[in-house]
Amino acid sequence: MRQTQPRRNYLGAVGWLWAGNYKVERYLYILHRITGLGILLFLLLHLIMTTVFRVQGQDVWEAAMAVLNNPWFKIGECLVVIAFVYHALNGLRLILQQLGFLMVRPAPSIYPYRDSLRKKRSWTMAMIAVVVILALVFFYDLVVGGW
Amino acid sequence: MRNTYLWFMQLITGVLIAVLLGIHMVLMHLDAILGFLGVDVTKVTSWESMIERSNQGIWAGLYIALLAVVLYHALNGLRKVILELTPSARAGRVTTWVIVAFGIVTFIWCSYVPIALLSA
Repeated sequence: MRQTQPRRNYLGAVGWLWAGNYKVERYLYILHRITGLGILLFLLLHLIMTTVFRVQGQDVWEAAMAVLNNPWFKIGECLVVIAFVYHALNGLRLILQQLGFLMVRPAPSIYPYRDSLRKKRSWTMAMIAVVVILALVFFYDLVVGGW
Repeated sequence: MRNTYLWFMQLITGVLIAVLLGIHMVLMHLDAILGFLGVDVTKVTSWESMIERSNQGIWAGLYIALLAVVLYHALNGLRKVILELTPSARAGRVTTWVIVAFGIVTFIWCSYVPIALLSA
């Protein structure tokens, strides 16, 4: 008798960039990971700035701040803020959904299937919209406040 | 069970960070918009303003509390990213302990600084 092989669903490190059969939530997960690692990198730089450079007194601090006072770094900071906004709001969505909120009541799986994912996805899209609006607000401030 | 507990801590620290760093981001990066509304926050990165905060115990306490919460969330997140590559159990344990050691060293150094600056 021919054996049916279970579908291979394990993507390993490839799944960090390619979602395979998964849908939009998987890309949000990938972006969550990328923004998380990016913010971690910024956190380390931020801690070095506010400790190592801070304890050396006013001259060293102001020299370091002068180095950072250029358009490229300000754009980078704005990207960190947008990454934070995304990570925070997607994180709140994950908390609510992992704890069982924003989902429909379970129903018998009779065709046509009414899965909880669609109900969840409308909230997911609302979250993405809020992220885009907040990103535009922070970008507007960057432009208005000067590079 | 232990991983469930660590995951739940990740949720709680995540909410705390979202609120506290949300305020931080608004104050630091919406300064032009806050300026229209009559709130001036452009001087907070000047040396004099920093000295003023360094002398207050409440700020030192806030920095250290935020540091502990952020370090836990960041390093536990990094640990989960690495462990998701499903290394061997031994490599996983080594990863965990390297990250714990890095976290402890970072916490000691970065919480020593605001305490030392209180009397500087």
